[in-house]
Amino acid sequence: MKPRVRTVLALAGVLALGGVIGLITGRVALWLLAALLAYTALQLWKLHRLAEWLGKRNFSDPPSLGGVWDEIVTQVMRLNRRKRYHKQRFLAMLHEVRDSTEALPDGVVLLNARSEIVGLNRMASEMLGLHGRKDIGIRIDNLLRQPEFLGYLAGSDFTSPKVLQTSTAPETWLSLHVLPYGEGQRVLLIRNVTREVRLDAMRKDFVANASHELRSPLTVITGYLEALAGDEQVSEQYAAPIAEMRRQADRMAAIIGDLLVLSRLEAKEGEVDGEAVDIVAMLALLKKDALARSRRPANVTLTIESHSRLLGDEIELHSAFSNLLDNAIKYTPADGSVAMRWWADEAGAHFSVSDTGPGIPAEAIPRLTERFYRVDAGRSRASGGSGLGLAIVKHVLQRHGGRLEIASVEGRGSTFTCHFPQRRHAPPGAGSNTTH
Amino acid sequence: MEATDLSQHISSRFNEDLEAVRANLLAMGGLVEEQLRKGLAALTDADSTLAGEVVRDDAKVNAMEVAIDRECLRILATRSPAAGDLRLVIAVIKAITDLERIGDEARKIANISLHLATLEQPSDRYREVRHLGRLVEHMLRSALDAFARMDVDAALHIAQLDRQVDEEYESIQRQCVTFMMEDPRQIRRMLDLSWAARSLERVGDHATNIGEYVVYLVRGQDIRHRNIAEVETHPGGSAKGGGTAR
Repeated sequence: MKPRVRTVLALAGVLALGGVIGLITGRVALWLLAALLAYTALQLWKLHRLAEWLGKRNFSDPPSLGGVWDEIVTQVMRLNRRKRYHKQRFLAMLHEVRDSTEALPDGVVLLNARSEIVGLNRMASEMLGLHGRKDIGIRIDNLLRQPEFLGYLAGSDFTSPKVLQTSTAPETWLSLHVLPYGEGQRVLLIRNVTREVRLDAMRKDFVANASHELRSPLTVITGYLEALAGDEQVSEQYAAPIAEMRRQADRMAAIIGDLLVLSRLEAKEGEVDGEAVDIVAMLALLKKDALARSRRPANVTLTIESHSRLLGDEIELHSAFSNLLDNAIKYTPADGSVAMRWWADEAGAHFSVSDTGPGIPAEAIPRLTERFYRVDAGRSRASGGSGLGLAIVKHVLQRHGGRLEIASVEGRGSTFTCHFPQRRHAPPGAGSNTTH
Repeated sequence: MEATDLSQHISSRFNEDLEAVRANLLAMGGLVEEQLRKGLAALTDADSTLAGEVVRDDAKVNAMEVAIDRECLRILATRSPAAGDLRLVIAVIKAITDLERIGDEARKIANISLHLATLEQPSDRYREVRHLGRLVEHMLRSALDAFARMDVDAALHIAQLDRQVDEEYESIQRQCVTFMMEDPRQIRRMLDLSWAARSLERVGDHATNIGEYVVYLVRGQDIRHRNIAEVETHPGGSAKGGGTAR
């Protein structure tokens, strides 16, 4: 309000001055025009000074122009102060984010849609042997060239990290996890997992070595027990204990055998190479073996709906299928039935074993493939299982890209189904390079 | 670094082609690095499974060389690249040849280790050869990193490492001869070892070549058969076939 009044007053003053001089000299129009021109010139000059000042972008030394011009200068100064304040706040926040990522014990690399490095923290540089900010803009796959990593980055399955050794630090194991976000951007998370990898290797070695070492003393024990059982001189009262000892020794041998199978499965990395395995023949043999047993359910049936073969390892597949069949036979009463089925569809090939046994409680199903897991303590020990059968099945299926599905109703029976993906499935007639 | 800036082409397809060729070269480099690493591990750990893998995977290296070569020819024929782009294509064509040879040397080392694995392992696990191998691996990695980063300084450094490789190779040769004279039963093994060292020395030479292509690519300057000190002090000095600046 005030500056506006002042401007009007100033203009009126100038015009009045011009009018007075005009009246005195008798040339009112001329003097009024002169006064107006002078006023306009002054304002124009001030406008140019303002423009000059704004152009310098140095707001520390504002010109004193008076009137509405001062008002503009003050407003500009205020806007500028506010801008600077916000900028500093954002910068502070940005630094904080950057500093906190620097402090992370894990390496972080931000990648854009073209896999170029957008940002990275110090740990990432250290662990991957990068040159810090100098490497920004370079494609990550040009610097991390391991074929394994390139395959992982180019693929689309980022559910689990890739564990590998880099050439810059051959003794360390790194877990590289790609996490997609936004539109094609990705975060690469790098963790040093040398300790975990070593511990895991130690555990596997230990289990394998321990099982191996236990086997020879056990052989000696079973040998003597066998001799004792056949010895006429041993008094009758020891017959039952010796028979029980033999049974337990056999069970122990079975556990050790399964442990060795498991550690062998674990020692092999990745999926098995494909060799066409004649599943139909294998299942027919399994059925024959099952029928030859003394204690078995009345009905053991096999339904073959496809003559497809499976690309995989014959020994491993046999061990998985026979484990499933063993379980079914063990848990099914003499008047029950066990049904095997082999079929193929557009999803791949499938094998299932159904029984009419006691079934499995729903809460136990997810834990069934754990080692030594017992649904109830008495049951499987009485039947002499090792507690490792389903763990072996799970491992074998993993190595074939397949999965195990367990369905069960308590009191009515269970169905164990092995699903194999289409890439493992060799339809009948296709590919005659069978191993048989 | 004019050559790194591929963003100024009107045709973005052209950019992508050039980027892809560079990425493919480095992917092939990664495969060759792995082959070399596995070959050396097979030698020092007497691991015949690993050696078998190296021998088998050499076909992949060869296939990549052919594919990249074809792609480069396609770019030359259809895009007629100039200046920095032309140098990139030329450098890639040259580098894949060297990489393929390194792959061959890795296969040779694997073959030697297949043979050595049948003999008794020495207690030092071929310490000298292992050291030479690490040095050569480092050279190859630096050369490929320099290609990815367009880093002339790193590329020039590789040639200096090559001198160290030559010295170590000489010393392994002398050592082998000494062992052979001491114990003629060792001649067979020492011959094999000397061949492995020879292969590593060749890998060093090929890595040096790749470093030279990086200098050519970035500076447009041919530094083959020239003194390194001279190149470093007079970067713009007279060069055979040089001066292809924009």
